[in-house]
Amino acid sequence: MANKKTVDLVEEKAALMRRDVIEMGYAAGGRGAHFGPALSSIEIVAGLFFGIMNHDPKNPTMADRDRFVQSKGHACLAYYAALTETGYITREQMYTFKGDNSFLAGHPTRNMKYGIEVTSGSLGNGFAVACGMAKAAKIKSDDHKVYCLVGDGECNEGIIWEAAMNAAKYELDNLIAIVDRNGVQLAGTTKDIMDVDIEALWRAAGWDVVVVEGGNDASSVLEALQGMRDSSSGKPHVIIANTTKGKGISFMEGSLGWHARPMPQEFYEQAVAELENA
Amino acid sequence: MEIVKRPHVENFIEWSKDKPEVVVLTADLTNSSEVGKWRDTYPDRFFPMKMAEQNMMSFAAGLAREGYTPFIHTFAVFIYRRPYDQLAMSIAYPKLPVRFVAFLPGIATPGGVTHQAIEDVAIMRATPNMTVLETGDATEVESVLDVAHSVDGPVYIRMLRGEVPRLFPKAEPMRLDEVRVLSEGDDVTVLTAGITTEEAVRAAAPLAAAGVGMKHLHVSTHKPFGDPVVLDAILGARHGVITLENHTIIGGLGSAVAELMAENAIGKKLVRLGLQDTYAHGASQAYLMKEYGLDAPALVRAVEKLTGRATGITEPDLDAVRIEAVHSLAKAEAL
Ligand SMILES: Cc1ncc(C[n+]2csc(CCOP(=O)(O)OP(=O)(O)O)c2C)c(N)n1
Repeated sequence: MANKKTVDLVEEKAALMRRDVIEMGYAAGGRGAHFGPALSSIEIVAGLFFGIMNHDPKNPTMADRDRFVQSKGHACLAYYAALTETGYITREQMYTFKGDNSFLAGHPTRNMKYGIEVTSGSLGNGFAVACGMAKAAKIKSDDHKVYCLVGDGECNEGIIWEAAMNAAKYELDNLIAIVDRNGVQLAGTTKDIMDVDIEALWRAAGWDVVVVEGGNDASSVLEALQGMRDSSSGKPHVIIANTTKGKGISFMEGSLGWHARPMPQEFYEQAVAELENA
Repeated sequence: MEIVKRPHVENFIEWSKDKPEVVVLTADLTNSSEVGKWRDTYPDRFFPMKMAEQNMMSFAAGLAREGYTPFIHTFAVFIYRRPYDQLAMSIAYPKLPVRFVAFLPGIATPGGVTHQAIEDVAIMRATPNMTVLETGDATEVESVLDVAHSVDGPVYIRMLRGEVPRLFPKAEPMRLDEVRVLSEGDDVTVLTAGITTEEAVRAAAPLAAAGVGMKHLHVSTHKPFGDPVVLDAILGARHGVITLENHTIIGGLGSAVAELMAENAIGKKLVRLGLQDTYAHGASQAYLMKEYGLDAPALVRAVEKLTGRATGITEPDLDAVRIEAVHSLAKAEAL
């Protein structure tokens, strides 16, 4: 069981991060933002940054920091929210999201000064980079872990499976992938687009697999992450987290339309009201 | 200027009506590639290939080998970067009639480096058997399908979506390997393609008023590149030639012109405006065009340098920029 204090902290931070996502996306105006993909992953990202990872916002290049790779880069709002709430970036910087002169682009762009580890957005690649980082830690006998957030639609990409098989061959048990299984990708539901049993695929590739039913429940997510972090089974680990796309905002939940779009004022007001009453 | 909302959507549906061999493939970018309505109209000819671009290429090759004409629709970067080997070996080498409809060319997206196709023309030009087209307005978006269909082999199309201006009359469709002459003059020859054409058009009147003769050619076929009008225009340019492209200056329009000049022993100055061998960052199109020197003011400065003549033209003298709403209802999402 995850410690109650940590669960409370992650829940509190997750609520703040949801609000940050809405604020940043709204501030981006007509440029729009990927709301649904960020909101489904909030508990996972908050759990990592506030309950699991060894990291120091004052020292983003600390050698023994745990690494976080957000392979599903279009969900960068969740990442930027975590960087804000942990103090890697200021609130003022947060509000520059997607601005003309901002380093907070529509997809994460590597920037070690502010804790952005890997450029991502061309889906699939980030995960393979994470595998290479985990292998490097093994070669150097470093103890840190590599955490990688992957989309369930992203698992369509061939490179995911090339990398997964490779990671198992190299016995990268310092690597923990989390699949944000929200069931909706861009042009349809994951089921409609390609109905595959990804649990079986990850197992067949040689990974330790755990399915978390409550992927938007801080306690369940933390428990799974801790279990994987503390296991040295010789296999890489994957948590398949069942989440809700757009979690927390009624009109975004499970919606295709809120994958990426601008947020008009009336929707913003409704979203804020829902978060405040949550 | 007329602004056309999503010219590809209805036009492609109508065009496909009597062409049962035409099939459409996408990789989880259906509405984003403006084929949502096409799918609903011809569900039996539409193949969602999930988000798996490599497989999509070789699968399309299989369809093409058996007599179908696949129109692959997705963002440009996802056509020529990840699945290039499949594109080259399964499609280009056997010269199969696959059409690549590539959206978000160059810096026409705030999506950042992962979504900016800044070297696609270079790579596609270097690919044997490939024909390379680029649309610059609504008329070309509408007529590029006929051009592509007339080609016996693979065709790469830099495509525009959302709100697209109509710069050229509907009655003057795109033609294979034919440039359009948009202004006459014998001081400098300027070649543009795609979204940079509008920039040179903005500069045309002020330059003429300042007494500078600009011959402006709009290019919609990058390969083949054999229209004799281009060579004539280069020969007739007193001070030299300027290319302005939404692409890195290596391997694209500027390089095509350089090759042509060298092969014809034309000893004139050539200025290549475009991304100067750099990736771009994420920002609005207007901002990036200014930052990287792809806009009308950058062109005016280059003309001044080449002619050695100060024009006195300042930004307010240039026709207003047509700022496209980065997002509008015409676009599937703000990328
Ligand atoms: C290689 C590649 N192909 C296509 C895209 C376009 N794209 C962006 S997000 C997305 C769907 C992602 O779905 P999923 O991985 O399930 O993540 P979710 O949005 O549900 O969190 C697609 C197809 C991309 N970014 N990269």
